[in-house]
Amino acid sequence: MRRAVIRLVTFVGGLFFLLEFLLPERAPDWAGGFDNPLTPHLTDVTNFVIIVGTMAFLLGPINLVRSHVSTILRRRKGLLDSAAFLVFLVLGVAAAIQHFEQEASLLYDVLFYGVLFAFGASSMAMLSFYLVSAAYRAFRMSSLDAGVMMLAATVVLLGQVPVGDWITYSLPEWLHLKTWAQWVMDVPNNAVQRAVLIGACGGAFAAGLRHWLGLGAREL
Amino acid sequence: MLSWLGRLGRVDRRWLYLGTVAVLLVPFIVTVPMPPGRASKATRGLYDAVESCPPEKVVLIDSSWDMGSQAENYAQLECVVRHLCDRGVKFVVTSIGVTPLAPSFAEQVITPIAERAGYVYGRDWVNMGYVQAGGGAGVIINGMCKDFHAVRPTDAYGRRVEELPLLGRVRSIDDIHAVYCITYSPTPEWISFVQGQYGTPVAFGCMTIMGPSYFPYLDSGQLCGMLVGNRGAAEYEELVGHPAKGTQLIMAASFGNCMIILAAVLGNLGAWARRRRERRPA
Repeated sequence: MRRAVIRLVTFVGGLFFLLEFLLPERAPDWAGGFDNPLTPHLTDVTNFVIIVGTMAFLLGPINLVRSHVSTILRRRKGLLDSAAFLVFLVLGVAAAIQHFEQEASLLYDVLFYGVLFAFGASSMAMLSFYLVSAAYRAFRMSSLDAGVMMLAATVVLLGQVPVGDWITYSLPEWLHLKTWAQWVMDVPNNAVQRAVLIGACGGAFAAGLRHWLGLGAREL
Repeated sequence: MLSWLGRLGRVDRRWLYLGTVAVLLVPFIVTVPMPPGRASKATRGLYDAVESCPPEKVVLIDSSWDMGSQAENYAQLECVVRHLCDRGVKFVVTSIGVTPLAPSFAEQVITPIAERAGYVYGRDWVNMGYVQAGGGAGVIINGMCKDFHAVRPTDAYGRRVEELPLLGRVRSIDDIHAVYCITYSPTPEWISFVQGQYGTPVAFGCMTIMGPSYFPYLDSGQLCGMLVGNRGAAEYEELVGHPAKGTQLIMAASFGNCMIILAAVLGNLGAWARRRRERRPA
């Protein structure tokens, strides 16, 4: 019964969006000239989707709290990590409520700008170190293919920054690194990206169709 | 000689990290006079879209980034907002689906520029805040195109759209001249629902590593323009004649890229020397 309801709601929802998108805003005169009957309901359905999505926001924290509370109660491995998670969850909620009620909130500033901001920016900044380390350890010209790839990577890396312009400044424009980097992007890259996109879209279409028609049992 | 070259393949990674920090810091300590060069077709496309905005229309900016991609998205938003303010173009800011922190980050960039340009909040620009897109951004985008007020009845501060004079004239996609989406990796649903359905120009601002994914859309004309990383921001700043954060950060990227190439060359030299030594008869 539960599966049948989910399948029905999914099918009707998918059919609504599909028909609303595909049908013209106004039918031709020979067909009666009436407006798309689904469009007036689009806002309500969209708001419904936003509400459901927002409710789903709660599911994540609820599941995490259940899992971490269970870890603490049963004294399993990672107990301290779970405790840290719960403490920061409570602090985060308290800071958000305080920030919502009053403009200036020290707790909010410390947690979001002092801790979360610093962690987020630092974790992305670490990528630059990993990139240099990976280039040093793994980027080997061990074959002709790898050599071509390294040449293309060097041209693109230099062609995207002013150093590349500076190196080839005195050469004719067709020899500028920027010109070659743009060619790599516009020709070989575009060809590959299009091939990947066509394949991925075909896959996404098939997956979407399975969801819509309720053929994928695992999703339910 | 071979043994000396072989040592290049055994450099402690901490020296590489230290070298990376050192080269990335250079542009923040000394000014390196290296302009970003001529603007690419992608950057110029966005510039032209802003330039051609008629006075009765607005530009919709979807600013959906936070500290993770701030290093590139900050400058991409800053240069375009400055251009809009210089030209007197009014704009609406949304943050659809990516991160709830996005509206406050957008505000940090926009407020000082808008205040300096004499822009009044509500009359000249509006921040519509974050919208959760659990069912996919396309559903929200499609709804906003048809009835902006119904999908976003309040701004980021909870004020009703009726209290915001600018939104009195922004009711659907017909009132929007162009859409500019800035985030780590903009969703192509902007193209499907905005450019594909209504022909409204769409431009992206994305991280450098995501740029290659969007070039096919630019080539086909589905994107009118794109700022790729700090390079795009620096080129845009050059076009509007106001070098700022993008121009400064592109120099850091310059040195960072050189460091990556240097690391690859050192690693390859070391590996080559090791192979040669191993092949030698004992």
